[in-house]
Formats: sequence, C-alpha cells, structure tokens
Amino acid sequence: MGFASSDEVVTYIGGIFKDAFADPEIGPKLTATGQVFRFVFTDPEATVCVDAPTQSVGDGTGQPPPAATMRMAAEVGNAYWQGKVNLPMAMAKGQITVQGNVASLLKLAPLGKRLFPVYIARLHDTGRADLLL
Amino acid sequence: MTSSAARAPDRPSPPPPLNVTSLSFWGQTADEREDTFRLLRADAPVSWQPPMEGALMPPQQEGLWVVTRHEHVLEASRRPEVYCSSQGWQFEEVPEDILEAASSIIGMDNPRHQKLRRLVSSAFTPRQVTRLIEQIQHQARQVVDRLLDAKCGDFVDLVAKPLPMWTVNELMGLDDNLREEATALADGMVSYNDPAVAAGREAGQVLNDSLVGLLTLGLDLAAHRRRHPAADLMTNLVQAEVDGQKLTDEEIASFFVLLTVAGNDTSRNATSHAVRALQDHPDQRRTLTQDFPGRIDAAVEEILRWSSPVMTVRRTATRDTTLGGQHIRAGDWVALMYPSANRDERVFTHPERFDLTRTPNPHVSFGGGGPHYCLGAFIARAQLRAILNELLHRAPTLEVDTPEYLVSNFVHGIKHMPCHIT
Repeated sequence: MGFASSDEVVTYIGGIFKDAFADPEIGPKLTATGQVFRFVFTDPEATVCVDAPTQSVGDGTGQPPPAATMRMAAEVGNAYWQGKVNLPMAMAKGQITVQGNVASLLKLAPLGKRLFPVYIARLHDTGRADLLL
Repeated sequence: MTSSAARAPDRPSPPPPLNVTSLSFWGQTADEREDTFRLLRADAPVSWQPPMEGALMPPQQEGLWVVTRHEHVLEASRRPEVYCSSQGWQFEEVPEDILEAASSIIGMDNPRHQKLRRLVSSAFTPRQVTRLIEQIQHQARQVVDRLLDAKCGDFVDLVAKPLPMWTVNELMGLDDNLREEATALADGMVSYNDPAVAAGREAGQVLNDSLVGLLTLGLDLAAHRRRHPAADLMTNLVQAEVDGQKLTDEEIASFFVLLTVAGNDTSRNATSHAVRALQDHPDQRRTLTQDFPGRIDAAVEEILRWSSPVMTVRRTATRDTTLGGQHIRAGDWVALMYPSANRDERVFTHPERFDLTRTPNPHVSFGGGGPHYCLGAFIARAQLRAILNELLHRAPTLEVDTPEYLVSNFVHGIKHMPCHIT
C-alpha cells in the first residue's frame, strides 16, 4: 500500500510540518532556519512547500522561491520521514535529487530527525499503519 | 542539548587562549597549535571545551573533552567498550546521514567492526603483501621518473598524490580512467572547511557533493564486480558473507568511501611533510642517506610522529568513567589530539627535535592502539620507504618551496608545495 492520491501525500507529508510548527520546542527552531524548502513527489504527483519564516505549508503557489527542492517518489518520501532513507546514499542511487542548496538541508538534519516520530505517530493515529516500514 | 549540560559547572574549562575548538585555531600552523597543546598537556590535559566550531550544522553538544597527553590518548583508544566509535568519530558535528554513509567500519564497534575489518585484512596474505610492496616500489620509481622529466611543478601533484592514489585504487579495483575523479572527491571529503577549496560553496555542499560522487563510484564498481569478479578488494566485498548475510550495497559503498579517503590523503600528506622536513633538517637528511637501508625504518616512524597526518578523532563515553582525573559522563564526547600526543614531553625526549634515529618511537599517528588502529599502516610505511628511496637517491637536488597548508581539524594537509630540481 502507498499513498492513494496527491491529496493524501500533501496531508501526510505536509502534515509533518504543520505538526512541527505547532510543537513548542521544534516549531521555533524550524522557524529560525529562515528557509523555504520544496518537496516534489511522483507516484502520485504532489508538491509540498514549507516556508519556515511564515510557518506556512502549501503547494508553492504564492510562496517564495525555495532554497532547495527535493524530488523523489512518494514511496521514498514516506520512508524518508520515517528515518529509513539516508539522503546522500539515496542521492547516489538516484532515488532523491536535490536542486539548490543541499547544505541548507543538512543543517536541518537534527530537526528532521525529531520529526520522524511525529510522522510515525500521525500514521498510527490516522489509521495508516499500512504505511509504516 | 545534552542531558549532561545541566551538570556543566563541575567541568574544568581552560582559559580562552587554550581553546582548540575554533576554526581559527585549526587555521594556524602546526607549530602555533603546539604552543597551545603544550600548555594544555601541562595544565589541563583533559579539558572541557566548547563544541568544535563547524559549518555543517548547528552544534547539538554543549561541549566536549579534549585529550592532549599521550597516556590518555592511549587509554581512550584501548578501551573501546568505554570510549565507543559507533556514535560518531569526528571532532566536528556532522549530520547523521553523512556520518552513516561515509564512516563504514571507522564508525562501528565490535563485533560488527571486527567482522567487516577482517574482510579487508584477510586480503593481505603474506604473499599478497610482498606483491603489493613490489608494486609500490615500481610505482614510486615511475612517479620519480615523471618528476625528473618535469623538473619543476607542484610536488603534491607530481609526487605526493599519485602513489597513494594508484595504490588504493589498484587495491579496490577501480578503473584507471576513474582514479583522478575518485581522488578529487576524496579530497573534498576532508577539505570542506578550507575556504580556498570551497571557493564560495558552503562546506556542507562540498562535503555532500564529494560523498555522493564517491558513493556513486562505489555502487557502480560493486555492480560491475558482481558481474565481472577480479582479484581486488571490491570483489572480496561483494562476495563476502558476514553472519551468513551478504553485505548490502550501502555497506559496500560506505566501505569504498572510507578506504578511498583513508588511502589517499594520509600517505600523500606524510610524503609532503617528509620531504619538507628533510630539507629543513639537512643533518638528519645526511644521517639517513649515509645508511638508508639501516635507518629508513626508524626514519619513517619519526616522519609519522613529526607530521601527524591525521590530527583528531573522537569517541563517545558509553558510561561514567574517569580520564586524567576528570569525571567523564556517559554520552560525553572525547576528542583525541594526535599531534599533541606525538609531542608529549613525558614520552618523547626533546619532542621538538626531528630525530630520524629516535627509538623507541611510540607515536600515535596510526591511532593509539585498540581495534581502530590504522588498517593500512603497513601500506603507508611501504609507500614512504619507497618514495623516499627514489627521491633521495635519484633526485638528490630536489628543493621544495613554502607549503600551502589545508585548513582542517582532521587531516594535516599540504595542498600545494612548489618544487624544482636544480
């Protein structure tokens, strides 16, 4: 089983960041990065754009240009946010491509790690344990 | 934030001038750094310092222990159950994904570490070692042939770089046409903190680009060797089983990264430092040339002590313990300063002297013993013996100019060093 629709990708992957902004500890740190990141998924196609300074999550429309864009299959995205994908290794295998400033993504690494349990909890809480790896 | 942060007040910190965790400290010369290390060895041999200043990610640690005396470097190196490697081994904080993809066995503890390390060490049978050393001697001859033809240029590019590049890539089984690329990528893995190398790029970009490039070469070579086995290390790795399981592509690619980086930079820099030191100490050079076969082995050890090609490694305490009278808590980072241990006046008589007849010479340039002692130590020694034999006997009028040093808290690198033969 994977994501059934683009909306579902946006709900779950985008939801990670909505939860993160709402978290009293993670939220301010994510905002403080001052960065805009875009995730472009395939199978199904979806775009999630995270604007840290304004704490907004959208599809990129009307949002500032991103510092970095990560492209991957939605299945890889699901694994990534569960902490199951190593970014440089996935880049070497061609599973993830990064356009823009990869250094800004690396600086996010400690925060990203703290978002993995947030995503896993969301999958549990919304009855999508089938997406757990 | 670490849980130990709240207990920081009982940690003794040296006064600011003795801080070794700033980028500016590692931008100094080795002699300038030694001025600080000497004071630390005397007054604060195990000191609590701010986290290493780095450009890769915001520090997550409150600080770390800096270990400067020889005896404490040995103690931490030889107690891997207390000072582990699997929670990172770099002085500087590095994103976990990078660390995981680039570390392989250097970032593991036993028993896994030992099993994977054996895959490489078992390839070095006495017969294969003899063959490898003969090949290194042959390659050294060819390298110096090219130097004699060129007569002048950059010593690093002409002499120091080609021999280790050839050795490590030959061992791995990498095609000739990919060796320059692999070496350039390995350089990026250790030079990302040098503004001149980064050339406007962020450190993380330099490191990630280099790592992804090397991983790609490793994955491609592994796939190729599965189809076309050969007598090389990559074939060993793709065919090996550990605990009844083949290594994954990821494990093999990481191994490739580690061996390529470790095999390229260390011997290269030791060679450049050796030639510079021999020129700066003509009396020592005469001593060596008067009886090269009788003195080269001791000379190589002194060159290794003198140059400390690898400057730092880090361990993590697995439990509360004591080192140099300091209370180390579980989870604390412990950074070992090899150049300082190599100049410890408690172990080396007149450590400031370059003395090619020094014996014993218990330097820590291959590590302080224990399970992570350098796997390629015998190769590095063979390379230094071979290249110095060729240079001193066939290029006796070689002169090198002022080296251009790499800014790094990890390897003691020489980027460029003009040379000419009169």
